[in-house]
Amino acid sequence: MRIESMLFKQKKFFTRLRPAVCGTAVFLAFMLALPAMTVKTTGVAGALWGEMSVQAASAAEAPAAAPAAAPAAAPAKKDEKAAAKAEKGPEEYKPITPPKLELKDYPKIKGFNSRITVWFIAQLHLFFGAFVLGVPIFVWVIEAVGYKTKDERYDNMAHEFMKVAMTGFSLAASFGGLLSIALVVFYPHFMQYMASVFGKVMIYYALFFFVESFFVYTYYYGWDKMSSGKDKLIHLGLGIGLNGAGLMLMALSNSWAAFMMAPSGLDESGAFAGDVWAAMHSHLWNPLNIHRFIANIAYGGSLTASYAAFKFLTANTPEEKAHYDWMGYTSFFVSMFGMLPLPFAGYWLMKEVYDYSQQMGITLMGGAFAWLFILQAVLIGAIFLSANYYLWCSLGRSNGSARYTFMIKPMAVIIVTAFLMWLTPHTLVMTSQEITKIGGAHHPLLGKFGVMAAKNTAVNTLIIMTFCSFQIFKRSNIRATGKGFWAQYGTTVQIGLYVAALTNIFFLGIWSYYIPASTRIGLSVPQVTTTLMVAVLSSVFDVFIFKSNEELGPPKWGSMPVRSQYALFTLTVAFTWLMGLMGYVRSAIRQHWHIYTVFRDNSADAFTPTLPYAAAIVTGIVCIFIALVLFMFWMPILASKGNGAEEH
Amino acid sequence: MQFLKPILAIVVAYLLIKLGVPFLGSLMHPGTWPVVPSAVMKMYMAFIILGTLLSYTYSEEGYNALIGPIVDVYSNPAKAAIKFGLVFVIGAFGAFVAYQYVKPTFDPPVELRSVHPAPPSSAELWGKSFQIQSLKNPLRDDKANFAKNVEEGGAIFFKNCFYCHGDKLDGKGHFAAGFNPLPANFTDVGTIAQLTESFVFWRVGTGGPGLPGEGTPWISAMPVWHTLLSEEELWKVIMFIYDYTGYAPRVTTEVK
Amino acid sequence: MERKKNSLVELAKILVFALIIMVSFAGYAKFGIPLVIPAPPPVEEKITGAVTMDQMIAMGDKIFHGKGTCTLCHSPVGGRAPLLEQIGTNGPARLKDSRYKGKAKTVYQYIIESEKDPSAYVVAGFGKPGTNDTVSPMPMTNKGAIGLSDFELDCVAAWLLKTGGLPLAEIKPPTGGAAAGAAAAGAAPEEIKPAATAEEAFNKFGCPTCHKVPGLPEGGDVGPDLTKVVKLAKTRKPGMSAEAYIFESITAPNSYVVKGFDKDVMPGDFAQKMTVSEITLITKALLGEK
Repeated sequence: MRIESMLFKQKKFFTRLRPAVCGTAVFLAFMLALPAMTVKTTGVAGALWGEMSVQAASAAEAPAAAPAAAPAAAPAKKDEKAAAKAEKGPEEYKPITPPKLELKDYPKIKGFNSRITVWFIAQLHLFFGAFVLGVPIFVWVIEAVGYKTKDERYDNMAHEFMKVAMTGFSLAASFGGLLSIALVVFYPHFMQYMASVFGKVMIYYALFFFVESFFVYTYYYGWDKMSSGKDKLIHLGLGIGLNGAGLMLMALSNSWAAFMMAPSGLDESGAFAGDVWAAMHSHLWNPLNIHRFIANIAYGGSLTASYAAFKFLTANTPEEKAHYDWMGYTSFFVSMFGMLPLPFAGYWLMKEVYDYSQQMGITLMGGAFAWLFILQAVLIGAIFLSANYYLWCSLGRSNGSARYTFMIKPMAVIIVTAFLMWLTPHTLVMTSQEITKIGGAHHPLLGKFGVMAAKNTAVNTLIIMTFCSFQIFKRSNIRATGKGFWAQYGTTVQIGLYVAALTNIFFLGIWSYYIPASTRIGLSVPQVTTTLMVAVLSSVFDVFIFKSNEELGPPKWGSMPVRSQYALFTLTVAFTWLMGLMGYVRSAIRQHWHIYTVFRDNSADAFTPTLPYAAAIVTGIVCIFIALVLFMFWMPILASKGNGAEEH
Repeated sequence: MQFLKPILAIVVAYLLIKLGVPFLGSLMHPGTWPVVPSAVMKMYMAFIILGTLLSYTYSEEGYNALIGPIVDVYSNPAKAAIKFGLVFVIGAFGAFVAYQYVKPTFDPPVELRSVHPAPPSSAELWGKSFQIQSLKNPLRDDKANFAKNVEEGGAIFFKNCFYCHGDKLDGKGHFAAGFNPLPANFTDVGTIAQLTESFVFWRVGTGGPGLPGEGTPWISAMPVWHTLLSEEELWKVIMFIYDYTGYAPRVTTEVK
Repeated sequence: MERKKNSLVELAKILVFALIIMVSFAGYAKFGIPLVIPAPPPVEEKITGAVTMDQMIAMGDKIFHGKGTCTLCHSPVGGRAPLLEQIGTNGPARLKDSRYKGKAKTVYQYIIESEKDPSAYVVAGFGKPGTNDTVSPMPMTNKGAIGLSDFELDCVAAWLLKTGGLPLAEIKPPTGGAAAGAAAAGAAPEEIKPAATAEEAFNKFGCPTCHKVPGLPEGGDVGPDLTKVVKLAKTRKPGMSAEAYIFESITAPNSYVVKGFDKDVMPGDFAQKMTVSEITLITKALLGEK
């Protein structure tokens, strides 16, 4: 009941202690940096080391360990020595070979399935981690915008976003701790090996964890104190520090996950050669970093959008409704901003997977997991449909939207058509009668939709149309009043641009059927470029067209229908579920390896789960996550209710 | 009547896919009617219905126009008859779907089948090993007796093969309707026209049971002809089916 | 009070809504998508004892289509790699190709070379893009994820040669004794040590499989009972000592076949395989000497 007041006290406490906190942080940093230079598994460093490996584990990602988990037993002792030696000096360095584990080397804890337990905890950690890494990025941008425009609403909104993220921060940390314990408990030999390779990095990881905490608390609790003048700039600086530390945390933990998929820094026999940087800098590290960075923004945005939607639905006054409507819209915008380039980052990651190992790539796209990508297409389709629906509903806020509503149905037709093309599987499931009618297992028309050329065309069309929805929304409440060329004919130019882009994308898509497969892949580049060109050019044209404009009455914030808010929930749930699914596949393509090709998983859970099995687990995880998040949203209401009662 | 529009849109979309795709497909592959497989159709319709509902409910007016009649039917006592009718129809539909799921069926389980699987490098016929890759029809070189060989091949065809593959070699023999998959239609460009003689030799000689796994040997009724015909007879009948249909056997280019 | 209730109801609604969405996703995964069961983790086959060429070919077939994951690429579906069914014609052609720079002199050597070092010769059109067919996209099959042992590589080669209709003479199936070693990739083959005791010698050559042998608890009855040979050895061949008879029976089994047993059942190559000390140990043990 007194949470609010407790928070308030805390806030005071923290702001007063600011210098003290700074000093402590610096001291802690030194404490950590020292052992990091001469890592020994004794004393302070030893204690930290334990924690680190926990973090490392979490970084390594539970689902990864889970589906593909593997081995290493007997040489454990040797490893330890080798690790210790390795840190002492390169001249004494002895290569660390991944141990060969047997079934009995995996601890069994009654009542727990090792892999599923780790899977749950790791995925939950990742959900919260992605959330708290993503939110500060756009919070900082919004705060900066508020500072630049001197519009306090932005500042308040950024502050509120941060408030939501704060609970997430502690939950992410708790799950991280739980994950490290779970990994050490269930996969001790694996963790020992990981620590022997990444010991140093794990130390740095822990260091950045403290740095991150420092920035989070100062950034959030110092918000009101440092709200004007030079203080505000310092505050923005803290925000940069926060995001920098967050990025480092993500990159370090990604390096473990990437190492497990595409190990590097190992010699011919698979033994670690002692160069930590080489081990970190594996082939998939940067693709993974980029993909996750973008996805974090989109995911953070979708979660805050859900928060706003929840507040909108429970709001009692029109002002509150208007505020949360606006907040929901901004979050949604942020989420879309991340979502649109995400498929391209995904394609890049995929390409790098192929480059790293054709075998892994084919297993992914043509082997056991081919159908997973149909499910992925359905999920992404759900995300795009709900996003467009929200935008269409948003037209209701504007006074001049009637001019554009005629476009919605044709756009819906294009989007749904592109989407159907996208989810048409490569191998069609047919009954024998159908095979008889079709005259074989190959469908002359639908078979053409199964290949990459059609998929690329479809996804680019989807993105262009979604962007078009967005542009329509942007201009629905204003009218150009200029007299120049752009005001007069700008829209015509834009229409031409869209038509040209779609024609180009379709032409490239159709053309690519007639050229050899090796050249065909290259055509996706001009397609993507076309899409990005439309987004950039058309936005620039907007600036010229509406150089001088008039507003058609104030936007009706708060007038959104309830169902539009549920579109936001759909977005979040689909996104979360999709992340869970992709976590599964990223880990599962390692198949029966803890560390692909190097460290075999000989546990009882070494088998690769089937899609329905994984879907059931992911659903379970997402249920827990959504319940936790809703509880997180609801807590403040509970608190304010208590306060309200007191005031009465 | 506003609420009928989306329903109409869904029906139109359904018909477009149901008929349009096979129509376009039949243009690309004449002689067939490539229906949309029901599994894909279900997926398509789910998203078409979803997309239609979304595009009709984004505005308050559209939403009310769609929901209004439903609310009206369910809350207006004067329309009780329609309401119960609707409840019945919905229930009946559910029952129909359930029935479709549980009713016994004689359909074989769905399988992915490769029609012309890759041949092995060698096959055992008449106790001899044949190298499919380099195998040539020995009778082709005998230009003098070409007509005679073809004629004899024809006699063999009509004594053995035509019951299934038909007197016009179009796969519509007397027994054809009893088979699934259908007997091969030799007049189609997709069968012998794109195959080498050695491939046909292997297929005829080892029959259905000689198919590799991806060709689902358990669902082919083709007999193992090398147990019934001689090597020479086999080559002759192959010459006949090519001669009759007017196709030339595919010739593989020399291995680089 | 009313307000709190309100928010809880909204919460419940959202939760139910989220649940419906998730269940529909999971339901689609379960019912809308054909079930594909990923291959179970490959079992590392341990081979001990003698293996025939036919077994090697069968094993090679299994490895090719399973553990070796070869068919991911070497299949007509994707056209990602040359079709190995044509090795019969292609193999010799490759060796004669002017682009061939490897060390192989025979198709067998060529196969083994390609398995271990795929880039030694890249078939035109199958190289990594941009390398002008100098680098192969194929992984080394004796390393990494596939990690076949030398014996397994031989099995695959045997199978390939057989399907290509080429001679198999170059491949030597392991003849038993020590583990043929499918276990660790690249591990040096264990050296075969001469037996130190009679019991070791009996077991090393598999005598108890067919004979009852003095001092060993179990024995087969395919061959004569050797616990009685102490008494009978002298009487089998007139004029031949017991030692000489036993020696002859081991090194040339067909020279005297006990009544009721068949010729050619006992292997005739023990003369090549046994050491003198082993034969001595066995003979002495059979005659009850120390």
